[in-house]
Amino acid sequence: MSDLDVGMSTAKAASLSEVLDFINAAESTAESGGFPIKVNFLRNLTIEGVEPFFKYHCLKSGLKPLVTFGNYDMVRQEVLDRTSHIYTDTPDVIVVALYLETYLSDQWLAGWNAAEVMNDLAGLFAYLARNTAAIVAINTFVPPFYTDLGITSSTELPSHDYEVQQLNRLVRDFVRSHPSRFVLMDWERFIRQLGENESMDYRFWYMSKAPFKKGFLDLYARELVKVARALKGKSKKCLIMDCDNTLWGGIVGEDGLHGIKLDRHSYPGNTFYQFQNSVLKLRERGVLIALCSKNNEQDVWEVLESHPHCLLKREHLAAWRVNWQDKASNLRALAGELNLGLDSFVFVDDNPAECGLIRDLLPEVTILQVPEKLYTYPLLLKRDGLFDTLTLSAEDRQRSRMYCEEANRKHEQAKYDTLEQYLESLALSITVHHAKPGEVPRIAQLTQKTNQFNLTTRRYSEAQIASYANDPEYAIISLSVRDKFGDSGLTGVLIARKVADCGVIDTLLLSCRVLGRNIEVAFALKSLEIIERGWQVNAWQAEYVATQKNRQVAGFWKLLGFMESSHQEVHTFYELRNNAVRHEEITYVAIEEE
Amino acid sequence: MQLKEHKLKEVLARIFNVDVNTITEDASPDTIENWDSLRHMSLVLAIEEEFGIELTDDQVVEILSFKLIKIVLKEHGIEFI
Repeated sequence: MSDLDVGMSTAKAASLSEVLDFINAAESTAESGGFPIKVNFLRNLTIEGVEPFFKYHCLKSGLKPLVTFGNYDMVRQEVLDRTSHIYTDTPDVIVVALYLETYLSDQWLAGWNAAEVMNDLAGLFAYLARNTAAIVAINTFVPPFYTDLGITSSTELPSHDYEVQQLNRLVRDFVRSHPSRFVLMDWERFIRQLGENESMDYRFWYMSKAPFKKGFLDLYARELVKVARALKGKSKKCLIMDCDNTLWGGIVGEDGLHGIKLDRHSYPGNTFYQFQNSVLKLRERGVLIALCSKNNEQDVWEVLESHPHCLLKREHLAAWRVNWQDKASNLRALAGELNLGLDSFVFVDDNPAECGLIRDLLPEVTILQVPEKLYTYPLLLKRDGLFDTLTLSAEDRQRSRMYCEEANRKHEQAKYDTLEQYLESLALSITVHHAKPGEVPRIAQLTQKTNQFNLTTRRYSEAQIASYANDPEYAIISLSVRDKFGDSGLTGVLIARKVADCGVIDTLLLSCRVLGRNIEVAFALKSLEIIERGWQVNAWQAEYVATQKNRQVAGFWKLLGFMESSHQEVHTFYELRNNAVRHEEITYVAIEEE
Repeated sequence: MQLKEHKLKEVLARIFNVDVNTITEDASPDTIENWDSLRHMSLVLAIEEEFGIELTDDQVVEILSFKLIKIVLKEHGIEFI
């Protein structure tokens, strides 16, 4: 396909032919095992196009779908008529599919007000809530793609967009206040995900009142199947993962603790880091986390305990099988130990052979293979809702409330009189120390990428940095920055060389995301102090090499207390005697050395 | 581009959920019960997907028999043998 799907998170919908063939095959072979799921649609648009996709995803999830559509634009009648299909069929799920254009017919052209529709909807939903035991799936409305007023905005004329938002708020609030009875089909989000071109079928809207394209219908179907799965107890309960190239990039047994890729600040380590983050999010929702990998157990524990960016810890694990036995046996053993069925397992592995083995021997297990496009990996667990349940426990809800309060606190603090006050409120904390082996790749990367706050712009390879790190004539100091909002990681480097009784600063750089807080001053002063403890030096030499991009640091050495000593084309040299007055301490930056 | 006629018949059979042998030269909404307006939309979608083309508005309405589908596809440079 086009370049557009590079980096797309949403799996591409299968073609209609594939979908229909799959359904035919599944329906003809099986006396169809699988849990039946009965779904009845109430609708005011042509939405039958969702049926094949809904069936397809149901069958793939071990569900046997039975789908009925009510009459076109007879929603209210069918809800109020106690002999209509939604009562006599006793469906598991009633899908109310409402399209605003039909709802309003032509009155919205004149500019309309949502109040009346809101009233009507609230009545409809409340009636359903009282009179059916089925789960009711209701949708948000599609906001306008274009405005009626063009680029003008008006306080007098009602805005279509605003009115739709009002309606959608009512829909969302109704779902929220009826947990485990009403579920949200967030059409507005589907369209945000897919865009107008992939969602809207203007041709079939005007020809047949069918406004949605295949991509939208497929996404709608997937969301409905998530509900069906949760309702029929098909939600997964346990996530089991391989380690090498799954929890981190590379092979810990060969690459070592510091060779594996898990750095949250660089690709592809950041994709593994974010994957781990999504694993922990699932754990917060009550999903059990386990490992099944072929490794030396000690290597794995070392990563979990010692790697600075490994979010997953041993105490998060419900069980593990880290050994050299085949994974099918290990998964069976885990099912026994956890007292769970294999059909509640989701297994993640990068190795197609291992995935194939499990698929053959334990077909009940859901298998997710680490994608080749690693940048889609962080979304792997989020997309399919395999672990979705209809409600979250009280503890889960409480946890999210605490997060909300924290966010409000931050919002409240957002006003300050002076820059100083603001910086003080940030609770800045920096860690400054001699570079550690695990920091070498990141340091090399910073020398290669940093342009603006970079006094000399010298680029180094990982091997060069590693050799300097082992050379007593060199000192490499790293900077990590944290504030109350979070951790920015390793974002600064100073490299110095000892020449006789003089320290020569070879490199000083900071990533631009930590600038503007005087951290650079605090870091440089602290670095000199740390180096002076190990080296007998009575003077410092420094240099500024002007480039197109680093003008902002031209005055930095003088700011720190250095004196200009000589000048040669783009090079300016500076010197600092030990008895010279240095820049005063930055009081609002807390400094740690470990 | 030349394609086997059987391939087109399979597309129709799949959409209308009938045996491929019932797709004759004269197959139309009159001979195939399942060929209603809803399945007609699916047919349009499937033809566009299978053959990588986009039908014009007129063509969407026109393709109301196997014979007519072939004529329209020929206009898109796809011939069946």
